[in-house]
Amino acid sequence: MNNQKMKQLLLLFMLCTSILSAQESFTINGTIKDDKNGETLLGATVFLKGTTNGSVTNEYGFFSLTAPKGNYTVIVSYLGYQEIRKDIVLDVNQTLNFEIKEVSTQLDEVVITAEEPERVSIKKPQMSVSKLNASTIKQMPAVLGEIDVIKSIQMLPGVTNNGEGTAGFNVRGGAADQNLVLLDEAIIYNTSHFFGFFSVFNTDAIKDIKLYKGDIPAKFGGRVSSVLDVRQKDGNSKNFGLTGGIGLISSRLAVEGPVFKDKGSFLIAGRTSYAHLFMKAIEDVKDDKISFYDLNLKTNYEINKNNRVFLSGYFGRDNFNLSKVINNTYGNATGNLRWNHIFNDKLFSNLSLIYSKYDYQIVLDFIKLDWIADIKNYNLKYDFRYYANEKLKLDFGVSGILYRLNPGEVKPTDPSSSINYLKLEQKRAFESGLYISAEHKLTDKLTAQYGLRYSRFSRLGGQNIMNYVDNQPVVYNSELGIYEEGVEAGETFYKKGESIETFDNFEPRLGLSYQLNESSSVKASYTKSSQYLHLLSNTSAVTPLDVWTPSGKYIKPQLSNQYALGYYKNFKDNEYSLELETYYKTVDNRIDYVDGSDLIGTNTIETEILNGEARAYGLEVLLRKNKGDFTGWLAYTVSKSEQRTFGGKAGGPGINKGNWYNTPYDRTHDVSLTGIYKLNDKWSFSSNLVYQTGRPVTYPNGQYQYEDLSIASYSGRNDDRLSAYHRVDISATYKPNRKLNKRWKGEWVFGIYNLYNRKNAASISFRQNNDTGQNEANRTAIFGMIPSVTYNFKF
Amino acid sequence: MKYIKQIAIIACLILASCEDVIDVTVPTAAPRLVVEASIDWEKGTVGNNQTIKLHTSTPYFDTTTNNIVTGATVKVTNTNSGAEFTFTDQNNGTYTTSSFIPVVNDTYTLEIVYNGENYQASETLKSVSDINRITQSLEGGFDDEVLDVTIFWDDPADEENYYLVRVLEVGDMFPFLEEISDEFINGNEIDDFFEKDDDADDPTEEFNPGDTVDISLFGISERYHNYMQLLIEQYDSGGDPFSSVAAEIRGNCINTTTPDNYAFGYFRLTQVVKESYTFQ
Repeated sequence: MNNQKMKQLLLLFMLCTSILSAQESFTINGTIKDDKNGETLLGATVFLKGTTNGSVTNEYGFFSLTAPKGNYTVIVSYLGYQEIRKDIVLDVNQTLNFEIKEVSTQLDEVVITAEEPERVSIKKPQMSVSKLNASTIKQMPAVLGEIDVIKSIQMLPGVTNNGEGTAGFNVRGGAADQNLVLLDEAIIYNTSHFFGFFSVFNTDAIKDIKLYKGDIPAKFGGRVSSVLDVRQKDGNSKNFGLTGGIGLISSRLAVEGPVFKDKGSFLIAGRTSYAHLFMKAIEDVKDDKISFYDLNLKTNYEINKNNRVFLSGYFGRDNFNLSKVINNTYGNATGNLRWNHIFNDKLFSNLSLIYSKYDYQIVLDFIKLDWIADIKNYNLKYDFRYYANEKLKLDFGVSGILYRLNPGEVKPTDPSSSINYLKLEQKRAFESGLYISAEHKLTDKLTAQYGLRYSRFSRLGGQNIMNYVDNQPVVYNSELGIYEEGVEAGETFYKKGESIETFDNFEPRLGLSYQLNESSSVKASYTKSSQYLHLLSNTSAVTPLDVWTPSGKYIKPQLSNQYALGYYKNFKDNEYSLELETYYKTVDNRIDYVDGSDLIGTNTIETEILNGEARAYGLEVLLRKNKGDFTGWLAYTVSKSEQRTFGGKAGGPGINKGNWYNTPYDRTHDVSLTGIYKLNDKWSFSSNLVYQTGRPVTYPNGQYQYEDLSIASYSGRNDDRLSAYHRVDISATYKPNRKLNKRWKGEWVFGIYNLYNRKNAASISFRQNNDTGQNEANRTAIFGMIPSVTYNFKF
Repeated sequence: MKYIKQIAIIACLILASCEDVIDVTVPTAAPRLVVEASIDWEKGTVGNNQTIKLHTSTPYFDTTTNNIVTGATVKVTNTNSGAEFTFTDQNNGTYTTSSFIPVVNDTYTLEIVYNGENYQASETLKSVSDINRITQSLEGGFDDEVLDVTIFWDDPADEENYYLVRVLEVGDMFPFLEEISDEFINGNEIDDFFEKDDDADDPTEEFNPGDTVDISLFGISERYHNYMQLLIEQYDSGGDPFSSVAAEIRGNCINTTTPDNYAFGYFRLTQVVKESYTFQ
């Protein structure tokens, strides 16, 4: 892209007057890396002393800043690292690469001060973002000692999930399928192992995670609730290293080191569970097998100063085999080839070719059935960042994603099976996006971030689509007061290359930050986003076999609007920080399922759903202590999340008589406290405390006898609640004496999950006792008090 | 297909969980009329004797069963032939007739007058295939160590068929119920197995040689199949997080006087084959 074109683009932005100012300026660019392992650091700041002119490194550690000609002192800082100062004469454009040292070089696994990315950024307009880095996550107590990214983010305000043993997470009252989860830019469709007990991210392979709960940057699209951006480590480019751990559930091993004559590095990390090995020894369960593993790969090569390529991949799998009767496997596979190119000292670009796949297979021997479903996508994207001048930075880019969905294929496993072969219609779709956004310093105190994303989604042909009489896939039976399947009126075949339905949306994103003084600011944001893929699930818990479905003739894209306002303050020399945010979010076209819907093995999902809307609002408070021997945070959220589903074209009042009802992820109060205390060089301790309002459920309001069984009648949808959820976890980390020159470093982590053995109800089911005939309420509690021990090492 | 979803539940139970019975306060709705109007015509009989049961719903944890309905008038009409059958109040919650004439594929209507309100339902009588054979095995079913029983019958290929299977071990309080659609198995010989869970505390709980089970195979309508599917799913799951959200189950009995006072239960007409099987 030449400069002329660039300027034309910029003129689209009314506010970009500053770019035309004529003063002789020069640019510094470069990358910032960790001195010890050569990992690029994202979120490090580069500053010109005595000015307000600075830059923050991007995902690849790259920065660029422009200032008028003169003499300056460059300050490079990243909390937990030693600050670097360098005097420069700025009379020519130049490249400056920095390598900075961690503060506590001898105990590098545990950095007690919170990392820079976790502190409040007072000046940047970006809000509603939560960051955690791998070392913090590793210090938090975890169930069975299994460190878990998805569980750690639930300690942040506005993030919950549907209870232990259920997959996914909910952000600001949104559904689990409304989160865009990216691992090195590749979409992860299922974030869990063991049906939701553990997450797919191996922390040994992860550098940094960012969760956007709102104010989603224009470069992201496709989900309406949040973006969880997980970045893998590049691998140590200076020395070979080995890290690993032995835990109760799984063991981990990661190898990293320099390759290509120090022009690159690699990382291979593996993790596998081994409960099944013990199960073999136990007579009762010797035929059962429950296991998972995952493999993370990454390598990069620096072609020259301006070009670098990365290859990264992930492969994970769950196996669940019960008495050779049920055989169930599922998992994600992703790959990403990237090319970083620096066009000039102000223009950084990244081109990515990404592949993602999730598949689910189950073989049920007792009915001789073999079921397979999968979703695949190919994604090409090209992102640019243009550091126009000290006041203006631009992000822009394009992307295209081709989806192929196989919602299900049923095969008989042998000729005696009574199952007939069935293949549901394959679905194809193409999603494209175009965005541009600016971070614009309007005055010394006021900074704006404004952008626009244009998204377009085409549901592609190559399949049959059912038609219905009066175009009504669902019909209200007013006599019986129930929703029923519409009357089929033949199928239409759409040829490959033909578009069945196309949607497009303009998604403005706007953020403003006003700095009140050196240590406090207020921010406001507005985000519109659209979502074209939906996870079909009529249960309150997401399970691995839930099927994704694209928008099309009968399912409209979800559209959300979110407004947020926040106040941020650092105090006591940045030792503490406070974040207050309030939000209001609406989602149009949120589908819900008619009573008694059956979603599995059907081509005609449209006959089971009604189109509704959702809304959520709340207040989040986050108080952090960033420095000292004691660090941690207190998060509190008060919120509401509800939805409403009218009958619409189908007629009738809709679900729950057309009244608002709680979503399953509505939590009135949510309190999380995380504390990490470093006693001395050998011992450190940490603790979690969680309190949450119970999950909305539907309780019975009566019973009657039918076919000799006691049948429950139910009240309004999600009118009742489970009792409150709370627990305390603790852990202690012990590092034995180390000799300075010894490379092997080990540590023991002892933990107790759910310290006071609270029986938190994961669910309450209402059933008739088989022996007495009496109706009973049965509470299922997943994790009681669980002690754990893990050994971690580094070489 | 619902098996597939239930795998998730099994997985969770195996992994780590404990279950206990607790006290919960639940809401209480006003009582409703419950209609158990099951007109079942056993194949090979004339089907003249039929019973309809009426009672009212009670609070969920209530153990009293003094909720029978007497004093209602109950009438069934064949809308194809115009024949009317009046059911006589036995003053114990049952209403009977000995002159019913079942005709496959004829439509019948039910009319009940109770407490001055009129209730109505309409349904078609469906036929059923014969049971080909009944077998027992250890290997079938979920568990290789307990006995299971399997029934076989032929599904007609030229139509959509829906079935209800009811299995009751002699001496048990509660039957197994299972609804089946021929959606994935049209035209095949259908097999359906039943197995009781292995109970470490009580080995008499599972099927043992000498145990007798009464098996009924009903031919039912699509709408009744959908009703029973929901009813059975909710009965089995009772609102656990892997089943669909629990909701009121609406049968086919409407209240024409006050529509909001609809009745629970169903007016069904079926053809049924019944067999007894004793485990060897």
